[in-house]
Amino acid sequence: MRTLSLLTFRIRQQVLEWSGAWWFLLTLVVQAVIAPLIGLFIWSAVYPDDPSITRYYVAIILVTLMTESFEQHTFSNRVYDGTLSHELLRPQPVVLGVIGENLAIRGWLTLLGAPIVLVTAIALHTTFAWQSVLLAIPGIALAAVLIFLFTFLLSLTAFWTDRVHPVVGFGSQLAFLFGGTAAPIGLLPDGWARIAEALPFYGMHGLPAEIASGKQYDGSLGYQLGWVAVLTIAAAAVWRAGIRRYTAVGS
Amino acid sequence: MKLLQLFGAGFSMSVRRSVAFRTNLLFDVVLAFTGLGTTIAAVAIVFTRTDTVGGWSKAEFLVLIGTYELITGLRSAFIDPNLSWFPDNGIRNGKLDAYLLQPAPSLFLASLSLSAPLALIQCVLGAGVLSWGIGTAPDKPDLYGVLSWLLLVIAGLVVTWALSVLLACLAFWAPKLQLDVFYHSAWQLGRYPTDVFARPIRFALTYVFPLALIAAVPSSALLNGPNAGQLAAGLLAAAVAAGLAALAWRAGLRRYTGATS
Repeated sequence: MRTLSLLTFRIRQQVLEWSGAWWFLLTLVVQAVIAPLIGLFIWSAVYPDDPSITRYYVAIILVTLMTESFEQHTFSNRVYDGTLSHELLRPQPVVLGVIGENLAIRGWLTLLGAPIVLVTAIALHTTFAWQSVLLAIPGIALAAVLIFLFTFLLSLTAFWTDRVHPVVGFGSQLAFLFGGTAAPIGLLPDGWARIAEALPFYGMHGLPAEIASGKQYDGSLGYQLGWVAVLTIAAAAVWRAGIRRYTAVGS
Repeated sequence: MKLLQLFGAGFSMSVRRSVAFRTNLLFDVVLAFTGLGTTIAAVAIVFTRTDTVGGWSKAEFLVLIGTYELITGLRSAFIDPNLSWFPDNGIRNGKLDAYLLQPAPSLFLASLSLSAPLALIQCVLGAGVLSWGIGTAPDKPDLYGVLSWLLLVIAGLVVTWALSVLLACLAFWAPKLQLDVFYHSAWQLGRYPTDVFARPIRFALTYVFPLALIAAVPSSALLNGPNAGQLAAGLLAAAVAAGLAALAWRAGLRRYTGATS
């Protein structure tokens, strides 16, 4: 209960803090939607008469906006400038602050990006079945957790290297290719599709977007939950190792 | 000539600074490889399902990607280290004040004096993909095609520099406006032929934010031969963009009162 109220407080604090940077948030929205938009145009050029392509990519845009993570900026910069020490001195887990900021930014991106999704859907005459959208909600929530854990895990490399941006950039490239943004998993060549379905990236974007766009739900939440467990254990282990290594000016 | 010497001296210092950090060099090489690999893989996936996209074949796509990577590498090496996050780095931190006191044109110092030589790795890889694309194209480019590609790439570079300067100049009027993320995101659209986009985006990429000039137009000229109209439009766009950038910089400086005032 205490954790929940602390988290709510951090979210409210960060929402207010970010409210002054709405122009910058808009540029982050553009950054989030550009890759799925490119995918939408490319695949629509390949399959001009297939409405499932546009439905899938509109869903991908929304999922991306709702699940973007920036821990390489928010968390890693605190490691680099030493202000992580302030967080360590507070009588609460450091990760609460990181999650609070993550959720606040996601809230802003979803709010500011929703008109883009709406305009794209209307312009392309895309409709969704509300049952499918409701079914996709647990998948989207797990996708949000997966992306946070993955980005946070990679951002923890800030304890060892000052090149955290290339590290996270590499992770984003994998997520782009195997997560369903570069191409819907069903359109990947056979071998690639099998690899993509086993990796966690499909659960970050493609799977919830597929469910929202009407694909029959086949109990794939178990696959997402499995990867959540793996990434949680990995992030906890790397955090423990990293924090033992951490030193800051004045410490 | 003096500016070229200054440019050379700045580049030489940057090279020495960069090679001192070998791990960073390794990171940049790996990331350049994986970044390009991801792009090519994404295109390869598309071409497992079709022979052309928006009228562009796989070979033409490869030439386009190669040209895009080449120009992006040059931008990352020579323009971004100077003009990225200009409102913060140039204006609020007072770096521009230091440039204004030096005996060289402030526009040159602010936009081209620093460099990031490691980013040139991307150019090498881009040239490789370009050669691969030309090698797989059924019709090889002739001398006029190569010359017009070269001219249009230079024009594209000038437009790139001018767009970055114009974006930086916004900081003189709106110092809190930070459009770098937007610019770098929109830049990715240049990696694809404008023919695949919807009409409003195609119009914007050709006339408003001319990313089509960066890679799509030169690539088309290389493989399909020179087109006098495109060549003239490219060169004119470069001249106009450079003129606008210089004017905006001058107008911005007249308004600028120093970081500490």
